[in-house]
Amino acid sequence: MTKSIQHTFHYSHAPEVVWEYLTKSELIAQWLMPNDFKPIAGHDFQFKTKPLPQFEFDGIAYCKVLEIEPFKKLSYSWKGGIDGKTTLDSIVVWTLTPTATGTELHLEHSGYVDSNTAIYAAMNAGWLKNIKKIADLIIAEKI
Amino acid sequence: MTQARLDTFQVIADPSRRQILHMLTQNSMTINSLAENFDMSRPAVSKHIKILYGAGFISIEDVGRERYCTLKEDGFNELHEWLKYYDDFWKSKLKKLETLLNKKSKK
Repeated sequence: MTKSIQHTFHYSHAPEVVWEYLTKSELIAQWLMPNDFKPIAGHDFQFKTKPLPQFEFDGIAYCKVLEIEPFKKLSYSWKGGIDGKTTLDSIVVWTLTPTATGTELHLEHSGYVDSNTAIYAAMNAGWLKNIKKIADLIIAEKI
Repeated sequence: MTQARLDTFQVIADPSRRQILHMLTQNSMTINSLAENFDMSRPAVSKHIKILYGAGFISIEDVGRERYCTLKEDGFNELHEWLKYYDDFWKSKLKKLETLLNKKSKK
């Protein structure tokens, strides 16, 4: 289990080419989602996709460009929710690194879960197995 | 419990609630012993515990006069599902980008 969602992909194209696909609305739409992105820090935009009722997400991601450094780094906030209530407040960070054969693209998508090692400690599968054992012990002790 | 149910992320967004979960990773604890670790009133701690309970992060068991809180998997599973969903989502989107870029270079 990682602290946030991270992916590194290598593309055999120059960072300038990959960058276009991250920052031009019509190109983003071709691989990600319909959007009204503009490569301007502070610009509010939306991604539209299908609703995910199981995550209380109505299908619209409300985003704001946080940081933009041409051909190197792009970050935006990513908020989702339902009925006017925000249920997900997260950040997407793209980092581009030129390589001998193209571009290494790194994605990090982090939410509340990111800064929260306690949650991850608790999510440790091995530990979770002990929950019931501990509970049983306490009850046994008291009886 | 009349409290509106908060979603998983709102539940763990609160630092006190995260601290409670963290303390419970060590062992089950009574509401009283949890409350001793906080400056806030016991009813305030109780309220956080109710929220954690409502979202499936803990279970509460009455043992004699004490109420014991124990971590429960359900809430964490919901978090895990969210992570898994977005993990797969990005993986497939990034592959799609690769296909697009490769098509473009063949033109």
